[in-house]
Amino acid sequence: MVSGRLNSRERVLGLFQGQEIDPIPVFSGMGNVTVHGLEEHGWRFPEIHLDGYKMATAAASTPRLFGFDCAVVPFDMGVEAEALGCEVNYYAHHTDILYPTISGKLADKVEDLNVRVPEDLGGAGRVPVVTEAIRLLKEDLGDEVAIGAWVLGPFTLGGQIVDLDDLLKMSFKKPDLVNSVLEDLDRVLVALAGIYKEAGADYLTVREMGATGDVISPRLFGSLIRPHLERVLASIESPKILHICGDTNAIVEQMAQCGADAISVDQKNELAASRAKIGPDAIILGNLDPYGVLVEGRPEDVERSVREIIASGADAIWPGCDIWPTVPAENMEMLMTAARKFGGGR
Amino acid sequence: MVSEERDSEIMARLQKGVIEFDEDLVREASHEALEEGVDAYHAIMDGLAAGMDVVGELFSSKEYFVPEVLMCADALNVGSDILRPHVVRGEKSRVVGEVVIGTVEGDVHDIGKNLVKMMFEIAGFTVHDLGRDVPLDQFVEEQTRTDSDIVCLSAMMTTTMLGMKTAIEKLKAKNPDVKIMIGGAPVSAEIAAKWGADGYAPDAPNALQEALNMIKGLRELESQG
Ligand code: B12
Repeated sequence: MVSGRLNSRERVLGLFQGQEIDPIPVFSGMGNVTVHGLEEHGWRFPEIHLDGYKMATAAASTPRLFGFDCAVVPFDMGVEAEALGCEVNYYAHHTDILYPTISGKLADKVEDLNVRVPEDLGGAGRVPVVTEAIRLLKEDLGDEVAIGAWVLGPFTLGGQIVDLDDLLKMSFKKPDLVNSVLEDLDRVLVALAGIYKEAGADYLTVREMGATGDVISPRLFGSLIRPHLERVLASIESPKILHICGDTNAIVEQMAQCGADAISVDQKNELAASRAKIGPDAIILGNLDPYGVLVEGRPEDVERSVREIIASGADAIWPGCDIWPTVPAENMEMLMTAARKFGGGR
Repeated sequence: MVSEERDSEIMARLQKGVIEFDEDLVREASHEALEEGVDAYHAIMDGLAAGMDVVGELFSSKEYFVPEVLMCADALNVGSDILRPHVVRGEKSRVVGEVVIGTVEGDVHDIGKNLVKMMFEIAGFTVHDLGRDVPLDQFVEEQTRTDSDIVCLSAMMTTTMLGMKTAIEKLKAKNPDVKIMIGGAPVSAEIAAKWGADGYAPDAPNALQEALNMIKGLRELESQG
């Protein structure tokens, strides 16, 4: 048993090395920037997606202000699609928290899609911004805090570059066509993950939220999505995490077999039941409700939720999606206090 | 005229084609219906649309997922393209109502919105789909342009959902009679009531039912006034 004297980085990396960590880490593979971190610099949300220094500083603010065990970049789901030639809307003139979206896709129909992988992926779109941010984070915090980065899963990236309804239908009607598109995307994502690891990311999360149980059947997940996740994950260096949000109850066993070191689920997952399904040794991260509890709840709700998550057998307290930036400071504080107090490893 | 037996056989084939997203079967059965003198409107409602009712149930019970439903809708549209030109005039003008629909600004989650839109189209509504990430003023402009009976707003994020409140105010200021329905995972009946929306539904089949009730209310008002 490793005792409470570990720093954040040791706690996170120790978990992936199979050590028993007490208290368990509180971290995420997804965005966790808060408005409190932005306010210090007077930055607006749109600015931090476009500048490596601002991205790193914003990401570092959550461990610095609250003691969160990691810093994670990027924040939006447009990086990969943009590198492949899509147009992104940053809502540059908005004062509200609006996440960047894809405003121009590569094609409407999967049939018309022609994915051209840039020769210099490391120099494409905002990839250099993200890698600079990772490098800066590594330099500044790399000894104390775990540095995380994430890429989309191949199917979710597919939904960013082509009309999603068409992709969903073609998954049945022309699976060979969809498979060949996904194969191209697999390569892009493996390469990108490699670039992020090389820049200094300690762990990498693959977010395949487009293939959630709210949208596609467990059967299609098994026949179409899973082989690609297996391929991508096999080529990414450890530690690596597979994340799917939404209703994952019918696919957690499949998720656990995709070759990731850990799986990540959100509040729609019945964690205790999932633990029973995947066995005591598999690492499962979850499943704090990042909006309903963390933003809208009171500190008591956060505390209760942390205790429930620990009791259901999670290996870390981990939000089910990006922490929503408007999270009240007292809820973040309670998250950390409760996790350190009750988070005795299992 | 076809026998009652033959009629139900054709209806069953149309339904089966939709449920099993078999576009060829739907095409074949639709032509048979026309050749044998089956009323086109009857074939649409009791064949195609009846099949889609079953699809809705299969979706609710998690036997079907989003891709399956989208393919069923495609199959239905194959039949409806063949049958609709043959609907007798009086029945053709039976457009149930007009709807403006879209996902609000800052939000690209449109899978649910597209399912709602599809239910409306099948039921005979004329639907003006503004797509996703729609600036709030555009809902007002489109409603004014089309004089639609209902405006449907969808949001999947708790923050973009707040935009609905503003949109409702703007829509009601411009046209107090317009009916507004809102939905999406973070929305609830309480929120809808609090913000002055006229309706809410947790899923696509209920959204249609709610819209039909609204139209009924509107028509009753019109006939009184
Ligand atoms: C698929 C998905 C995506 C896809 C969306 C693809 C698309 N074209 O739609 C992608 C990958 C692009 C995506 C992106 C993001 N997502 Co997302 N996504 C999801 C996910 C997994 C499923 C949503 C879905 O389609 N469900 C299936 C459909 C069928 O259900 P539905 O939408 O609820 O629709 C039904 C009803 O609600 C109703 N209905 C819907 N609309 C209407 C309208 C009316 C009028 C009525 C009456 C009824 C009605 O009928 C529908 C059919 O029965 C959810 C998690 C979840 N399970 O909810 C997260 C989720 C919505 N996403 C989330 C987030 C945070 C994001 C991002 C911000 C991530 C990021 N870092 O960038 C971006 C958003 C970018 C933006 N600005 O919009 C969060 C939102 C949290 C919050 N604040 O509330 C969620 C809840 C995940 C989570 N666990 O926290 N996402």
